[in-house]
Amino acid sequence: MTERQAHIRNFSIIAHIDHGKSTLADRILELTQTVSEHEMESQVLDNMDLERERGITIKARAVRLHYRARSGEEYTFHLIDTPGHVDFHYEVSRSLKACDGALLVVDASQGVEAQTLANAYLAIDNDLEIIPVINKIDLPSADIARTRNEIEDVIGIPAQDCPAVSAKTGQNISDVLEAIVQSIPCPRGDENAPLRALIFDSHYDSYLGVVVLLRVMDGRLRAGDRIRLMSNGAMFDVVEVGALEPFGLHPTDALAAGDVGYLTASIKSVSDTRVGDTVTHADAPAAEPLPGFREARPMVYAGIYPADGARYGDLRDALDKLRLNDAALSFEPETSVALGFGFRCGFLGLLHMEIIEERLEREFNLDLITTAPSVIYKLRRKDGQTVYIENPASYPPPDEIETAEEPVVRASLITPTEYIGGLMDLCQERRGEFHDMKYLDENRVELHYTLPLNEIIYDFFDALKSRSKGYASLDYEFDGYRPGKLVKLDFLLNGEPVDALSFIVHEDKAYARARKIAEKLKENIPRQLFEIPIQAAIGSRIIARETVKAMRKDVLAKCYGGDITRKKKLLEKQKEGKKKMRRLGSVEVTPEAFMAVLKLDDD
Amino acid sequence: MCSETIGIYLHIPFCLQKCRYCDFCSYPGRDAAEKEAFTEALCREIRHVAPLYRDRTVDTLFFGGGTPTLLSSDELRRICACLRDCFSILPDAEWTCEANPATLDDTRCHALRTNGVNRLSIGMQSASDAELACLGRVHRASDLPPAVALARKHGFTNINLDLMMGIPCQTLASFSDSLDAALSLAPAHLSVYSLQIEPGTPFFAQKDALPLPDEDTEEAMYALLLARLHAEGFRHYEISNFAKEPALCRHNLRYWLRKDYLGFGPAAHGCVGNRRFYHSADLSSYIRDPVASRREDPPLLPGEIEYETILLALRTDRGIDEIAFSEAFGHGFRSCYAAALAPFRDAGLLCCSERYTALTERGMRLSNTVLAGIFASDAAAHLFPAKIY
Repeated sequence: MTERQAHIRNFSIIAHIDHGKSTLADRILELTQTVSEHEMESQVLDNMDLERERGITIKARAVRLHYRARSGEEYTFHLIDTPGHVDFHYEVSRSLKACDGALLVVDASQGVEAQTLANAYLAIDNDLEIIPVINKIDLPSADIARTRNEIEDVIGIPAQDCPAVSAKTGQNISDVLEAIVQSIPCPRGDENAPLRALIFDSHYDSYLGVVVLLRVMDGRLRAGDRIRLMSNGAMFDVVEVGALEPFGLHPTDALAAGDVGYLTASIKSVSDTRVGDTVTHADAPAAEPLPGFREARPMVYAGIYPADGARYGDLRDALDKLRLNDAALSFEPETSVALGFGFRCGFLGLLHMEIIEERLEREFNLDLITTAPSVIYKLRRKDGQTVYIENPASYPPPDEIETAEEPVVRASLITPTEYIGGLMDLCQERRGEFHDMKYLDENRVELHYTLPLNEIIYDFFDALKSRSKGYASLDYEFDGYRPGKLVKLDFLLNGEPVDALSFIVHEDKAYARARKIAEKLKENIPRQLFEIPIQAAIGSRIIARETVKAMRKDVLAKCYGGDITRKKKLLEKQKEGKKKMRRLGSVEVTPEAFMAVLKLDDD
Repeated sequence: MCSETIGIYLHIPFCLQKCRYCDFCSYPGRDAAEKEAFTEALCREIRHVAPLYRDRTVDTLFFGGGTPTLLSSDELRRICACLRDCFSILPDAEWTCEANPATLDDTRCHALRTNGVNRLSIGMQSASDAELACLGRVHRASDLPPAVALARKHGFTNINLDLMMGIPCQTLASFSDSLDAALSLAPAHLSVYSLQIEPGTPFFAQKDALPLPDEDTEEAMYALLLARLHAEGFRHYEISNFAKEPALCRHNLRYWLRKDYLGFGPAAHGCVGNRRFYHSADLSSYIRDPVASRREDPPLLPGEIEYETILLALRTDRGIDEIAFSEAFGHGFRSCYAAALAPFRDAGLLCCSERYTALTERGMRLSNTVLAGIFASDAAAHLFPAKIY
């Protein structure tokens, strides 16, 4: 360890959603005068509008801070902000790998939650020193003593002397800074060894190309160095290296073992600089990459179509732009008879999907139609071939399938005891396999289930929240494939199949879901000039049927006293509605009808 | 000198009590002084506006409301006299007044008839007292025959009755009875409106609780209506209007054929060529300064006139006149909108003769669907220019 390294601390802040992670980061920035008060904008690190609104962190970020400790010594802190959602599990683990310690923020009134636990375990797995920080002590419902005990009992780390703060009011924040100096180990690593730097995020800048965020583990990195990315062998010449300041990049001469910073090298796409990859020198490479690299793998797929078919090109450009910054987003063109031209998109999870949809609509001003999300099924065909199906439209007919498997997750639910019954019912309904139940204290339990992923992507999270009055929390991790009795459910309007409405479902649930969706379609398909039968089918077998009656009356009876303004307004609205309609053969369907299939309320 | 005729609409915004479905501009329970002040204001506005139309002859006039017959016979007489002074009214002009069966009396009937009014439109609505009460009407079914008899006594031969379809609790049988009761009085004209629940009305506030006839029942009423009136020799000449030739309402036809009319009184609308006028609905500001309550929309662009022409003319049984349309807009209606019209023609909602394109009986029930289909088509893009003002 060098003198330089002794004065560096690399840490991140981890927490359950809404426990105050970003607010604590804001206070730390303020107190280290990294951000002056007048520059202070709430949640500096969450600089996407969407992140601020939803109170979640989507992209990892890092910032360098300077702190003069009570001992009088100067320290350099690197605060690495990590995404905070199960969809970004892998990204979180890589960000943590770039740290030596973590602040575990726990809400003094909510206590330990599912993601607190998941994140704490993740930090422990990555050998991080954990400093619990009890937050929101200004709230009347705060119970500091109980929270300390809970952290010790549930997570198993000492918490009697940990800082208890209010990130909102700023109370006791300096204790946190001091604890960082005292408890988090300084980085180690040999500055003279071959270069090994961990990529924990990257984003695209239209002037600099890809800006790679990294932690140097061993060696030294300078502008002008020729580097190699160890997973794919890609080589680049480094243009610039430097430190990350809250409002931009700060070029420096070099980054050395223990530093957190960035590099630019005229890299054109973030797909080259995958999170978790190791950067080394091209001419003096490290023998081994850093462990733990893995390709980002989409778990959920959905078709995304422009509501207005003429905007297909705009949608493609928008997706291209988003992919510049999001290596986990994948998409390829797809054509639907019902919806025209669009894209099959792969996402890390449902939140990731929602975020992409919202950004497309908001930042690119697109109206979208999104098909029901699907997971990837693994099928063995009768001819011995194994295929992975992510689009229900390409699901083979039943007589060609030997076995079908679906992805499952290992889920952990934490809930107050009074909701155990409701949540166990929910997991049961969703074909969950119960493993165990652990009391965290007398009031709360942790339940472990194996659940099919395709049950989770249908509003499981909403159902969980509604059955626990919002108190239960969820974390899950991919756990491989299991055989399942799966069938493909098709819907026919006026006798014609609508490809965009098809989806894969467990056989036992097919009837109930078919009925429900047929009813929803009936509610949502506007009446037309003729009667429309709606049918749900498995193969050629019709399992549910509804009818949309023909329209009988659509007329404004009176144009009174020569006042035609109302008639014009009404027609204007009707005309706009009509323009949004999609033609499916002879039937016109509103975008909402498609959404109805997506939104199957749990009731 | 413009020799084209013009129509005049006068809005009388008084009533005894507000009907529960009514969202027209009408103020219940106003005293005599206010009615007098209104009459003065109305005459003032007529005198102010009339000189602008000195070169036009008037061939239709219409007193609407509210209940115009809530004005005194003297007030009605003065308004008629004022109109006659200010405008050149053709001797055979059609001159309508709306009336409520409960408030039409001998002196008013006399005043109207002797001052030029020659058509009465009576708000019958239903022959069931229960339905009338539900609507909040002030009259009872038994008021109607004497009112019609009174009108005939004073020489009114051109009488319209208003009927309503789709009243809460109305049945096919009760509608049939109302229709019989109306026909037994031998009106020359019948207006039959489907009840519409408008925002801001008491009906709207309780709309989910209203026992409205179901769709099948209303459909049966419509079928019954068409069959009965056809048998009686009525022509279904507009979506909600039926007449024995030659008693088609010439004034209302102006609206649908987009011919010029002036509007006087609060909330009244007017249309002259590419200009549309309207008034604020506020009565006291109208009385204070009737001229200032007149507003004018920016002049309509050619596309907007075409849009209005289509949506209005398709209300009538003649429909759109291919020759007049081409002359006015430089392209044929059928050729321009061929793609949008085809499915409606195939579905039996539109019929085309050599010269006219019109809605069929079924098409009239679905006119908004047809219009929205036309206007949403690519061919209609030129009707909706981007507004720059």
